Amino acid sequence: MARHITFVKKIKADGELCAKCQQVSQQLETAGLLAKIDRIVIADERDPETEGMRLAAQHAVTYAPFFIVREDDGQERIYTIYLKFLKEVLQQSVSQEAENRAISQDLDFL
Amino acid sequence: MSADSGQIKAWAESHVNADPQAILEIAVQNFPKLALSFSGAEDVVLVDMLSKIDPNFSVFCLDTGRLAPQTYAFLERVREHYHVELDILFPDNAAVEQLVKTKGLFSFYQDGHQECCAIRKVEPLRRKLQQLDAWITGQRQDQSANTRAALPVVQEDGLFSTANQRLIKFNPLSHWTSAQVWQYIRENDVPYNELHEQGFISIGCEPCTRAVLPNQAEREGRWWWEEAAHKECGLHASHHGIKPR
Repeated sequence: MARHITFVKKIKADGELCAKCQQVSQQLETAGLLAKIDRIVIADERDPETEGMRLAAQHAVTYAPFFIVREDDGQERIYTIYLKFLKEVLQQSVSQEAENRAISQDLDFL
Repeated sequence: MSADSGQIKAWAESHVNADPQAILEIAVQNFPKLALSFSGAEDVVLVDMLSKIDPNFSVFCLDTGRLAPQTYAFLERVREHYHVELDILFPDNAAVEQLVKTKGLFSFYQDGHQECCAIRKVEPLRRKLQQLDAWITGQRQDQSANTRAALPVVQEDGLFSTANQRLIKFNPLSHWTSAQVWQYIRENDVPYNELHEQGFISIGCEPCTRAVLPNQAEREGRWWWEEAAHKECGLHASHHGIKPR
């Protein structure tokens, strides 16, 4: 079994695609990396039964967008930080500084 | 030791409503390279609990250089009260000097907190976590309905784990409310940061923290000038009837 990547995008309660998800989509496309994504799934905040909302609940994810990477051995890893995903999974060059900036939003408990 | 994903999920499910002390026991028993992150706020309850479970526990704090005087005083009180060696982590001075030289001391009010936090907080934290198998945080679900409603009591750390290092994060207070935390503080005579008496709930760096009004969400006291943009990234599953695991 080959590595499988799922990209979960959010549709907000007002029906609009979230700006961050849109930005990430565009960046992947511009960099020619969209082909490396196996599936794109929608998490629609208006409908808890959408696959993306179910996946978010299943993996205890509360941020969007996020990525689910299933490795050859069946192990799954969740990435809520796009730059970390870009570096570790798509092997793109990302500075530690840029990754640290992205992570900082999650550290409001420190 | 480490634990595989199945074990982590099993602990998270079997301890979903367990006492924080039971979760701390698991951490202490299974991860020799373990440390508690202490922010200088309500998470002091974990210092108290852990000191009663493992007298040799390890605890660290991030001194960003911008903490409030009351927080520095509180760190000293905790050190003396628990006879504990606080591992105080400092940012890379060259990086701080460069930031201040080029952008001044308050650039975060103009272009967001991320750059400053990355230097003063994330980099030293990353350095510390590279030495550990697991860490303990004071994160709670009730701190943010927007982004923390599904926080489990234990999880693989998705932010700091790398291909070479699998890091586990324990959140023993995950299911506790702020009221429970304060009940514990009162019942156990736990020292607390005096800023709490002035309306502060969440306490971070002095320029980025403010008091909140009664019934105001505690995260409204942090980085308030950029809150609207941050909110958009949350997935509001619990608002729609999904009960995240």
